[in-house]
Amino acid sequence: MSCFRALILCATAPVLATVAPAAADDDLSTLLYWQAPERAVWEDSFEEPMPPGFQVVSTEHDGPVFANADGLTFYKWPQRDLRNGGTGDRQDGVSNCTDTVERTSAGLMSPYPAGLVLPELDSRPSCTEAWPPVLAAEDAEPVGEWDILEREDGTRQWTHDGFPLYTSVLDSEKGDVNGGFKLEARGDSPVLREPVGPRPAIPPGFLVQQTTTGRLLIDNNGASLYAWQGDETNKSNCFGKCAEIWSPVLAPATAFAQGEWSVIERSPGTNQWAYRGQPLYRYSPDPRTRSLRGSDIEGWSNVYTQRPLPPPSGFTVQDSRIGQVLADANGKTIYTYNCSDDAMDQLSCDHPGSPQVYRMTLCGAGDPELCLETFPYVTVSPGEESVSHLWEVMHIDPMTGRLAEPDQENALAVWAYRGRPVYTFGGDETPGEANGDHYGEFNGRRNGYKAFWLRDDFRDNMFSR
Amino acid sequence: MQDRIEADATARHGMPLSVTLASALLVVSGFAGTGTAIGAEAPAGGRIGYVLTDRHWAIFETEDGAAECPKGFNLGPREQYSAQFPENDGVERTVVETRLLREGRQWHPTLVEKDDFEFYAAQGNTSVGLNLDGVVDDNDFVSPDGELTGIDNQMYRVIGCIAHYRTGGIIHHFENKFAQQYNDNRWIIEITDVDDLANDDEVTVNVYRGMDDLLTDASGEAFIAGATQRVDTRWGQTYMAKTTGKIVDGVLMTQPIDTIRVPWSSTFDTSGFQVFRGLQMELNLTTDSAEGLIAGYTDVEAFNHQLNTTWSTHHQSYGQLSSLSQYHAMRKFADGYPDEETGENTAISSAISVKMTRVAVLHPEEEFENAVSQADGRD
Repeated sequence: MSCFRALILCATAPVLATVAPAAADDDLSTLLYWQAPERAVWEDSFEEPMPPGFQVVSTEHDGPVFANADGLTFYKWPQRDLRNGGTGDRQDGVSNCTDTVERTSAGLMSPYPAGLVLPELDSRPSCTEAWPPVLAAEDAEPVGEWDILEREDGTRQWTHDGFPLYTSVLDSEKGDVNGGFKLEARGDSPVLREPVGPRPAIPPGFLVQQTTTGRLLIDNNGASLYAWQGDETNKSNCFGKCAEIWSPVLAPATAFAQGEWSVIERSPGTNQWAYRGQPLYRYSPDPRTRSLRGSDIEGWSNVYTQRPLPPPSGFTVQDSRIGQVLADANGKTIYTYNCSDDAMDQLSCDHPGSPQVYRMTLCGAGDPELCLETFPYVTVSPGEESVSHLWEVMHIDPMTGRLAEPDQENALAVWAYRGRPVYTFGGDETPGEANGDHYGEFNGRRNGYKAFWLRDDFRDNMFSR
Repeated sequence: MQDRIEADATARHGMPLSVTLASALLVVSGFAGTGTAIGAEAPAGGRIGYVLTDRHWAIFETEDGAAECPKGFNLGPREQYSAQFPENDGVERTVVETRLLREGRQWHPTLVEKDDFEFYAAQGNTSVGLNLDGVVDDNDFVSPDGELTGIDNQMYRVIGCIAHYRTGGIIHHFENKFAQQYNDNRWIIEITDVDDLANDDEVTVNVYRGMDDLLTDASGEAFIAGATQRVDTRWGQTYMAKTTGKIVDGVLMTQPIDTIRVPWSSTFDTSGFQVFRGLQMELNLTTDSAEGLIAGYTDVEAFNHQLNTTWSTHHQSYGQLSSLSQYHAMRKFADGYPDEETGENTAISSAISVKMTRVAVLHPEEEFENAVSQADGRD
């Protein structure tokens, strides 16, 4: 779906799939937050000059990203301050991801000191082994936002917007974005890697906000934008009292149609923006920015540039104490596990290929049996399947937490999201409880569990990692 | 009239102005004099609502804890870590042997038979709270003015010598600030069936989670009566409760609520809650405010879970709070709701000083649906 023209958007026919309410024959619990594969649409982006061989790849969660010729996603590692200091790459600086194998903790977090020997040193990779730099050929030349820096070992590394670029060993095929994502880093989350992509093809005055369930269109003040089923293609039917509650997003006199965006005339001299043929509105009673409240009104929907495909069949959506969560077939809330170690390179420890001692400390004080009670894996039930690239079936040895062969005696077939198993919480007794949320070090962001929030009417859990 | 009502309420709480009690001062100062003295009249429609604006665990404090904490305050994670793993002793330590050992115990405290550190429980028999069980025994406290006996507040034994909870402590300050700041903490009561706000033999008290910001004056510090609060019937159902009570000389006294969840989140997008058993309210009502105590038996496991998921070890360190030490102390002093199988008490008596401001409680049919109807009324 993506196409790129310098500062000109791709012209596409209006597509209603991302904003239209689920049809009567759709499973509401599935399509409330996702889009159906047969009518999927993906975010468009501005074209920009790129080095030869590089490409833009549409990804299911994070929208368009830059990738190499093999389709492997590019990441940056922006510097961020932690409790006792910062790490990462500075814009227009050098790469701080080196081939040194870190041996001890850096003490960047609190209250534990630096100098503690890290787990599993024998198999610990260096930063560059986990995050291979995107190297430039000897004759490569900068173009546009793309530049080249010289690494300590004399090799040349591509940068974009001043940030050194890397790929992730967790990605193996085109469209994988397992190394990180565009959700906001909040609280005491580690210094994480972020996928790098082109600018969304939207006019000035609008932004795209990454959420756990898609890329939400908002204005530059953070207000959510809505579309109404009662409108017609490029024609608003919302006037009078309707327009008092649903404030039309007016377009300046200088605005003009671009790609998926059009300008419609509400009345002589008053223009309104439309996206994919749908006139856009703000919801006056919205109590906060980035709100989903307007979607509760029948016929009205938030507008997304794209949404992920549905999670595994059988999964459900449950009401919880601040919004809605993703849950398994039994209504038990799904949890993801987050972990990065306290070393200068902030390597992740949240996937089966990394040391499991961090997770097993949290879920069972080192006891894998207790872990299976506290945060059991979400095993795959017969007939369950997923059409989403984000979800896969993974075989796990529950005693080690490592990958297992499918025919291994004790192997569990479990659901994994973005290359990491997901869990339920033993302390959740009724559907929708999310008592395991923020369980772990630094509210579950440094080493711990977070509920899979689909909607959060009070906080920012659906925008953050 | 107002003076008399406050004096009566103060006597029941056992918190005279002359006592150097921070928590007591919170109750008897601040809004004292705010609002209109209650006359013998019914509020409009027989109902009146209040929203929580301040809450602090009720503890008795003397200067520097001299009386109640003769051994000083408890050690926190930093101090305990230093004692366990002395710096500069030449020993090379691992993440697993230190940080993860301590974190594992913190998240699974029942696996630790005995805490390694002496716990300093608050001493003496003076404290603040309510007589929850209606009896007077050796474990109970006497109010600072000596007028109320039988006070059940074993939580005070546990947290009275933990700096975090004392005046100026981080939890003392920030739990209150976050209760004001984050709307998922909005806690409202609506008293209905009120014939006389000064004296009424039977009223109904409904508890809800609200959805809206608190209304402040231009300073942003003082809360103004008369705002609206919409009831969160969609996500807040687990926070709803109902009880009955009576109003005596302007003091609302409720029957215990068997089990209630109270939203109790912090920053960092957390959304935790406390679980209370047998929760009672004793609130001094005016037309603009409600002040006093809510008291009941705090569920030990829920309290510890809320603490750890809301306040990281780093944040617990700010106020020398070791959740592992505190957990073991809570189990030791727990005095209510024994487990049916083991007989061990699962909850601990406690009290919370609260201030509330009058609000108009808007139920969905009154407010939320209004937006829908207006939208449906498009022309």
